[in-house]
Amino acid sequence: MQNAKDSFYMALRARLTSVNPQRTVLVRGAVRPGILVEEAEAPFSQIPNDVFVLRWLGLAVDMDLCSAMTAVECEIQYQTCGTLAFGGLDRGRLLSQMDSELVSMLSPSCTPKINYSTMPPSTMLTQVFWDEPIIAPVAVQRDRLSRSARVMVYSYQEQGE
Amino acid sequence: MSANWFSAPAPVTHRIRGYFAPVARVTQTPAIFDPSQQGRFNLDAPPAPWIDLGWMQDLERKPASKSASVLTGIPAATQQQVRQTIDAQLTVHFLAWTKLTMALATGSQHMNVLTAPSGVAPAPLGAQATTAVTIQSGSTASTILLSAPDAEKFTAGSIIAVDQDYTGQTGFVGSPVSGAYVRQALTDVDYIRRVTYNVALVAQSTSAGLTLASPLIGGAPQPGAKLQSVAGFVDREGGCFYQEWSALFVMDGSQGERIIFHYPRLQPLKGAEEEVAPLSAKNKSGQSRVQLVGQFLALPVTDPSDGERAVCYRSFLPAPNALV
Repeated sequence: MQNAKDSFYMALRARLTSVNPQRTVLVRGAVRPGILVEEAEAPFSQIPNDVFVLRWLGLAVDMDLCSAMTAVECEIQYQTCGTLAFGGLDRGRLLSQMDSELVSMLSPSCTPKINYSTMPPSTMLTQVFWDEPIIAPVAVQRDRLSRSARVMVYSYQEQGE
Repeated sequence: MSANWFSAPAPVTHRIRGYFAPVARVTQTPAIFDPSQQGRFNLDAPPAPWIDLGWMQDLERKPASKSASVLTGIPAATQQQVRQTIDAQLTVHFLAWTKLTMALATGSQHMNVLTAPSGVAPAPLGAQATTAVTIQSGSTASTILLSAPDAEKFTAGSIIAVDQDYTGQTGFVGSPVSGAYVRQALTDVDYIRRVTYNVALVAQSTSAGLTLASPLIGGAPQPGAKLQSVAGFVDREGGCFYQEWSALFVMDGSQGERIIFHYPRLQPLKGAEEEVAPLSAKNKSGQSRVQLVGQFLALPVTDPSDGERAVCYRSFLPAPNALV
């Protein structure tokens, strides 16, 4: 299922680059699209502002099918304090923009499954697909607005996985 | 060597796209869908003559064909079965109110409410309409050429209907979609434009004519066609006319597979019906969406390949690399 998780992340990352190329993050000296996988980065106590952070949660497997299907729940967190230029008064607008980007990244709700552990990455036989997101209400902490969305990501196990 | 195939489970899908096409009523010719050549068509660009009706919900197919047993022996036992009746019904919820979806979800004629001048005698289908304007030659399905004085009468955002004057003919009227069947001659010169499906929204109006937001489904206006402004649409519970359409329902699976239901002939089974669905499950008395409900009876065609009669074709295009 690692291939499915990688494929989901890389699909969202590529789509974010298309939707808003200005949303970037500096990680270990490199500028990257503003979307991270929590478990693939050094631990942080507070998620960075204006960046999407993916956290993998629950897992279920349906073994009754001719190809086993895995369902992995992904929580996508993001938050903003607005910009200094506007004294943070634009934080609501920026959160709305991230909401919009999230919805754009998740459509269409499928992507080819790719094995990124090989060099070059190899396209596999099946597709990773997911449900519509369940979006949580805004959480307000002083001047910080944050939100999370949960998406169930499905994939079929292929031979050799 | 790794396998280059996989065993695909049952398709997973969550949306249905619908397409309809007119049946030529005079010749009783339905629209053909060929899965060998058109099966993988782009859902946003269906092949002619199919008209995209967008996403739909709650497609419910009810095969109602019946078989009878042929019994032989003592005691009798079923020796074989024979097809007794061929029948199928279909229900679908449309997610938009348009000329076409509203027409499909009604049991009889679907009419355009032609704009009328003030002060004329009221009528349930719309009063005596404002006089139609003549369309200039060279018009296309998306661009209607008018004289400058006529073009001034229409603005961006208007809805227009384009078709011929009614001249006393009987039988099916309207092309390419037969919008009504006239049993006895009428006196309303605008009757064909009342039932025509050649309606569109005006995107731009200039002194040369109108640019339409979407093409007329009948294509370029026929010589002699005229144009009138439309205020809305109306249908009736009652009437004797049955519309007939060919229909296509497409479900794309998560692995690239595709299921296609092709109904060559569908007629409405019931009168106009709506379903009211609350937008929020937590507030059932709050804002609600009114969905059109289409209920259809599938009628048979004779398959030219072997002479068998059928009411529906179900095609399945497997996922790439999937075992079959």
